Amino acid sequence: MFLHYIDLSWRSFKRTPLVSMLMVLAIAIGIGVTMTSLSIHHMMSKDPIPQKSGVLHHLQLQTMDEGRTYWSTDDVPFQITYQDALNLQNANLPYLRSAMYKSGFSVHLNSAQQKPFVEEVRLSSRDIFAMFDLQFIYGGTWTQQQQDDIAPVAVISKSINDKLFKGENSIGKSFYLDDIRVQVVGVIEDWITPVKYYDTNNGSFDDPEKIFIPFTIGIANEVNSWGNTNGWKNEQDDTFEDLLASENLWLQFWVQLNNEQEKQEFGQYIMSYMKQQQSLGRFNREELDYNLFNVTEFMDYRGVVKHDNQIMVTLSFMFLAVCIANILSLLLAKFLRRAPEIGVRRALGASKRQVFNQHLVEVSLLGLLGGVLGIVFAQIGLWGVRTSHSAYDALANMDMTMLLAAPVIAITACIVAGLYPAWVVCRTTPAIYLKSQ
Amino acid sequence: MLTMNNINKVYQTDMVQTHALRDFNLQVDEGEFIAVTGPSGSGKTTFLNIAGMLETFTAGQYMLDGVDVGGLNDNQRADLRNQKIGFIFQGFNLIPDLNLFENIEVPLRYRGIKAAERKRRVEQRLEQVGLASRAKHLPQQLSGGQQQRVAIARALAGEPRFLLADEPTGNLDSLMARQVMELLEQINREGATIVMVTHDPELARRAPRNIQVVDGQLADFTLYQGNPAKAVGV
Repeated sequence: MFLHYIDLSWRSFKRTPLVSMLMVLAIAIGIGVTMTSLSIHHMMSKDPIPQKSGVLHHLQLQTMDEGRTYWSTDDVPFQITYQDALNLQNANLPYLRSAMYKSGFSVHLNSAQQKPFVEEVRLSSRDIFAMFDLQFIYGGTWTQQQQDDIAPVAVISKSINDKLFKGENSIGKSFYLDDIRVQVVGVIEDWITPVKYYDTNNGSFDDPEKIFIPFTIGIANEVNSWGNTNGWKNEQDDTFEDLLASENLWLQFWVQLNNEQEKQEFGQYIMSYMKQQQSLGRFNREELDYNLFNVTEFMDYRGVVKHDNQIMVTLSFMFLAVCIANILSLLLAKFLRRAPEIGVRRALGASKRQVFNQHLVEVSLLGLLGGVLGIVFAQIGLWGVRTSHSAYDALANMDMTMLLAAPVIAITACIVAGLYPAWVVCRTTPAIYLKSQ
Repeated sequence: MLTMNNINKVYQTDMVQTHALRDFNLQVDEGEFIAVTGPSGSGKTTFLNIAGMLETFTAGQYMLDGVDVGGLNDNQRADLRNQKIGFIFQGFNLIPDLNLFENIEVPLRYRGIKAAERKRRVEQRLEQVGLASRAKHLPQQLSGGQQQRVAIARALAGEPRFLLADEPTGNLDSLMARQVMELLEQINREGATIVMVTHDPELARRAPRNIQVVDGQLADFTLYQGNPAKAVGV
């Protein structure tokens, strides 16, 4: 019977093509607008590293003196000091971890043949690649020895390798970051993530960096951060040395804790570390505090998906509701025009439920067609967003979930719109129409 | 086969209460061919709609083939209608988007009959009404008489025990009307029970039993053929 209902629905569509197309267009516009905002919201809020989001943890330390406040929801600063980053990076702990910050350089080959370009660079520990599942094409990460010895080495991503070395295996080749000559030890696939969750301080939706060098090189060469630096204490900060010795907050710290026990042990270590630092005159507060959030907790904590975006999604669904209201009135008119035929069908043995189901299948078909056309509209909308805001390049896209969701939402919306008209038409008294036809 | 005892049908509006049927009693036996006559507005069509379970009645008892119709819900009435009753309408009431084959197939689909069996029955009925070669035609491509023959084929497709015809020749010229009437008589001879509402005294006279509805009551009956005792009236 279902296939028969589809056949009847298609005939009905062809019988009133203008009205039917109007309804499909209405739902398609509604779905197009809704899916555009919903897709962006979905990409913003989706787990950027589902296989590891539960084990990667971002560390925050409450370094500020008693009575000092910070603009986070719990007063704990988002970033940490160089002193803490260095101590925790060098501590004798069994966990993968990385202090890190963002900087930037003029990248060149010291050759007239190649035009220099400015590129953001991430300075980190060698563990960053294993922690964040970055895939090597050539070579591998730098060694602990190279990191400790401040060896001028770098890992570059595929697109940089293509740009500098025409995609060849560049292991052992050198290039320049400003005046620092670095040797390539590894080439990774480009780091593609819709959300730059590992550093939300400087644009949560910026592109990930494509060049990675040891954190120690940055310190040795006095490479300043290109990210935010937050100071809360009145202290000397004229030189890079001052910065390193200060309580300024400018580094991120990530640690991989594979289970609850590791998380508890690391937490205990942090508490004892802060107590030990208190004896050195730091962490001047009664109650020591820290945050150790996993990726999804951290994204929630930082409010990566802005309230504005949620309002946008709500508004787009309200627009869809307006489209549904329009479709409802068109469906009501269309179905009631068909009441005489329904009268005949009822006389020939169709139950109210069968008539109701037939009309629900018809509205579902309209929803399906509207959903498919809505995907096309949404793609145009997303293209518009990408074109006008380059920061949304990775976000303004529909993944498979959204592609499948579009027709489901469209069909559901049409069924909602069609419930009342279908109910009205199935309740018509057949006898009225049989004589008048 | 069909028994109505003291059936009443009242249409109620804010201002007016209209008795369409009042203490209506009738018994129809299997194999009968009854013509129902009466002036316009007398309640003929209301009687036919109640007999076909297209309308409910206000009071009384209606038994169809041993089933008390008054106790059935909408789905049960639809099932019973589909299995026991075939309708023939004055305006043919063919579905314009469906070809002849598909129109005749409609009641069979609602009964859940498999495709092969549907095909067999539809072809048989098309053959019976002499339109087998027009199976793929749309209703509007046929004459009025041909359309009514399709409607009769559709009414017969489900092999109902009871045919209800509301002015089946009302929209046809005399030649076509006679052809349709001959077809109904043939169907009756083959065993179907037929109740036909008509304004045409000529056609009514051809039915073995006549009943007349006046002011919602079975006012009189006239029997032209057969046994007068079969009719139960006022």
